Amino acid sequence: MDIFLQQVINALVVGTFYGLIALGYSMVYGIIRLLNFAHGDLFMLGAFAGFSVLSLFTGQVGFIGIGLALIVSVLVVGLIGLGVERIAYRPLIKKKSPKLNLLITAVGVSLAIEYAVMLSYGPSFRVYPIQLPNTGFHIGDVKITYIQLGIILFTILIMIFLQLFIHKSIYGKAMRSIAIDDTATSLMGIPVHRFIGLTFFMGSGLAAVAGVMDGIYYGQINFLMGFLFGLKAFTAAVIGGIGSVNGAMLGGLVLGIVETLGTVYVGGEWKDVFAFGILILFLVLKPTGLLGEAVNERV
Amino acid sequence: MKAHSKIASILLVLSFLFLTACGSGNGNEIVIGVISPTTGQSAKMGQDMNNAIQMAVDEINGKGGVNNKKIRLVFADDACDPQASTTAANKLVSENVSAVIGGYCSSAVLPASGVFNSAGIPMVVTAANSEKIPENNYKNIFLLNSTASAQAQTATNYMISNLKGKKIAILNDNTAYSVDLAERTRDAIQKAGGQVVLYESVDPNASDFNSVLTKVKSKTPDATYWTGYYAAGGLLIKQFKQQGVSGSFGVADGSVDQTLIKIAGENNAEGVFATMSPLPQFIPGAKNWSKDYETKFKQAPGPYSALSYDGMRLIIHALEQAKSDDPNAITGAIAKTKGFATFAGPVEFKANGTLTKSNFIMIGVKNGQFEMVK
Amino acid sequence: MNTPFLKNKSFLYILLFIVMIAIPLITNRYWTDVASTAMFYILLALGLNIIVGYAGLLDLGYSAFFAVGSYTTGILTTQFGVSFWISIFLGAIFATVLGVLIGIPTLRLRSDYLAIVTLGFGEIIRLIANNSKFTGGASGIYGIPKPKIGSFVFQSNVLLYYLMFIFVLLAIFVIWRLGNSRVGRAWKYIREDEDAAEAMGVNGLYYKLLAYGLGAMFGGLAGSLFAVKMSAIAPESFGFMQSAMILLAVVLGGIGRISGVILGAVLVILLPEAMRSFSDWRIFLFGVLLVLTMIFRPNGLWPSKKETEEMDDPEPLKGGSKSVVS
Repeated sequence: MDIFLQQVINALVVGTFYGLIALGYSMVYGIIRLLNFAHGDLFMLGAFAGFSVLSLFTGQVGFIGIGLALIVSVLVVGLIGLGVERIAYRPLIKKKSPKLNLLITAVGVSLAIEYAVMLSYGPSFRVYPIQLPNTGFHIGDVKITYIQLGIILFTILIMIFLQLFIHKSIYGKAMRSIAIDDTATSLMGIPVHRFIGLTFFMGSGLAAVAGVMDGIYYGQINFLMGFLFGLKAFTAAVIGGIGSVNGAMLGGLVLGIVETLGTVYVGGEWKDVFAFGILILFLVLKPTGLLGEAVNERV
Repeated sequence: MKAHSKIASILLVLSFLFLTACGSGNGNEIVIGVISPTTGQSAKMGQDMNNAIQMAVDEINGKGGVNNKKIRLVFADDACDPQASTTAANKLVSENVSAVIGGYCSSAVLPASGVFNSAGIPMVVTAANSEKIPENNYKNIFLLNSTASAQAQTATNYMISNLKGKKIAILNDNTAYSVDLAERTRDAIQKAGGQVVLYESVDPNASDFNSVLTKVKSKTPDATYWTGYYAAGGLLIKQFKQQGVSGSFGVADGSVDQTLIKIAGENNAEGVFATMSPLPQFIPGAKNWSKDYETKFKQAPGPYSALSYDGMRLIIHALEQAKSDDPNAITGAIAKTKGFATFAGPVEFKANGTLTKSNFIMIGVKNGQFEMVK
Repeated sequence: MNTPFLKNKSFLYILLFIVMIAIPLITNRYWTDVASTAMFYILLALGLNIIVGYAGLLDLGYSAFFAVGSYTTGILTTQFGVSFWISIFLGAIFATVLGVLIGIPTLRLRSDYLAIVTLGFGEIIRLIANNSKFTGGASGIYGIPKPKIGSFVFQSNVLLYYLMFIFVLLAIFVIWRLGNSRVGRAWKYIREDEDAAEAMGVNGLYYKLLAYGLGAMFGGLAGSLFAVKMSAIAPESFGFMQSAMILLAVVLGGIGRISGVILGAVLVILLPEAMRSFSDWRIFLFGVLLVLTMIFRPNGLWPSKKETEEMDDPEPLKGGSKSVVS
């Protein structure tokens, strides 16, 4: 039983990361129905931005350092996300290009970001310039480290903030209105493209937060880390119901649990087969996911 | 219409690009091919190997060359990818090389060795050591690194005899080399009377191994042996210690790199043992060589630099013995090598091109550094 | 409906044909190898073009079919002593069956979902190859014999090059005929407006499945040829990057057009060889190229004339036909 509970804790932590990246995926998809294939790479960029900031510190890095790394990383990656939307996606969206072209563009952006980072940081693994202690507390035989607890609490905080922003603030209302009907929204005098930009900024910023946390928690980053993570996050978004904020988080946790159970009962090498298998099952059988609303099939 | 003919002509020009034949070596030099990854994830390993090979060549050319000819190296990048490796191998064959040295990833060496075999060019493999390479029985492929079965035996002896371990867990990263070594270690342990309590593959691109390690923990092993590469290895060690799994942790040669200790953290890595092909810093005679290497390239030698240097010296030795740069003569000379002195001791080859004597040693992490165990 | 495939520029095409035949005779082993790789990429790109170009379905896991062909030939020839010719036939059939099996539940999905589903399938196939015993696990299959007819063995690179060349010519012929047939017109109709096509009585799902199955078949053929050329195959060759590169070949040259796709495949193979000295930049530049192509030349470097006229928004193409490759 203790082993099982320990595995649940393991699943929770992985699921939190998936969920955090899935949030950005979902927000962007919700507003312009674009599958931003490069989203996982923004997560990777976030980890590298945090790495650069933390490398400036000599000696012990405290909470100030981590906070600074988070802020800088969110700003930098947010702006890059904004730039990607401007340069790569907007010309196509404005021309009403076919979906196929948008997707191919997204694949191109993903490759370009990955290898731009490889060219500037090198292909080998980088070690995060911060080592947090292994200390934690025990409940029975189940061990939870303080970092794990911190990651989960911080993510819950972000979730609450996001919920308030989307449902209570005027900006959030504008975003939701664009998601429902962008033409009508623009006729109401709302600058649609500016809000699409804001969505990209926020989604990218969330990925950056996940990137920095990943770097601190696991301690090792690489230019290809975003690819697999991005796919998993997309899976999480689909499970939860793409376009739904709560769904993204729920999907992340479900995926974390499925992967962990797969590892425990079948074997680690089949973990990804489970993840992609569940993705395909959901897309085919229940494309709206667990919490998603039914969307018009032909957009 | 105009546009079409334009493009067709461009296609033609492109095809004529094929015609630019490459110049072959003239009579006053011996051309040796180097095949290693200089792009992609293993780029650093390839660079370390190339440096050491260049160093050996510079030394001999400084002394006037071999058989009154200078050696010229031709480098080809295999990117650790089977497809790129075949193209790279064919490129070297086209350049009329007399012999080839290098080879880091087993999966890239496998198809390349077929190309060299059909062209009759000898290849000295200085890092890759999957058992699948000698299984092809190519007469002109020589492995300077001991193969997986030798390493598996070294690891087993250490875990069963030195650590007095009975329950062993084995983890691999699901790549060709790692699985091969893991399987052989499992068999060797069972033969030696040990018990393999867990045998698992993990995804080397993942960063969270907690679920696998919780599984390991529940088996309370005396030792856990990791046969994959250092990036995932470092994370495994870190999470192994975080979870407080019982017993010691050991790694194979693919994980022996300072980065392993950095990723795991010095405290976590303390006491980790490793099986490794001879590193220059552990061999008394190689201390000076390491220093020379550092002065020349402004960085420390990599894990396979010393073997690559020895491999190049072996080819030079064979050239001298054969008194010729004919590929067949070189193959014959390498096969007949007797007691050729390398950093790791004298070497000679079995009929299948592997070393007669294992050169694996045991090392361990002490104060954030790899050190000789015995 | 008459295509200018063999009419006006026949002189250039014949010249090109002669050059292609001459390559192994007048160049060295290295360039012959590069040319064979290009041949086999042309085959892959032609196959993917049926799926992406003709039917407008984005497939990000095309290497799965390529893997099925490779492994069929690899396993049958090494473990069961089956002749290469039977194995390439079976490989093509298995790939087609897999294509149809994947297609039936997924082709109803929206295009972006379909892209991800195919990517997932591609990864699953690669993982199965990597984790199973019968595929040789992570080290794959080695010692695959060269094809032979009677006692004549296609031992050398040169002979294999000609073998691939014949397959490419056959593929071009079949696909060219197909594109101009009733089936080809149905595909184009579906791609332009599926609802209208269905309203006119075109069975969308049937034609999509047909495209998917045929595309998969060519992938399987290419895979079998790859296995005998390499003589050793491993799961690494069938990852997402391989799928992305084939897609790039299709998109770069001109989606939906045979000559464009061939140009794209040749470029995808030749450019990296030409840029060997700064090969680290390669994939980065490919990514940028994909984005630029989609923004400025959405129908590729060499779009078909008809496509240009049919485009909803022909603006970016107007200047294009003058300066085709700058």
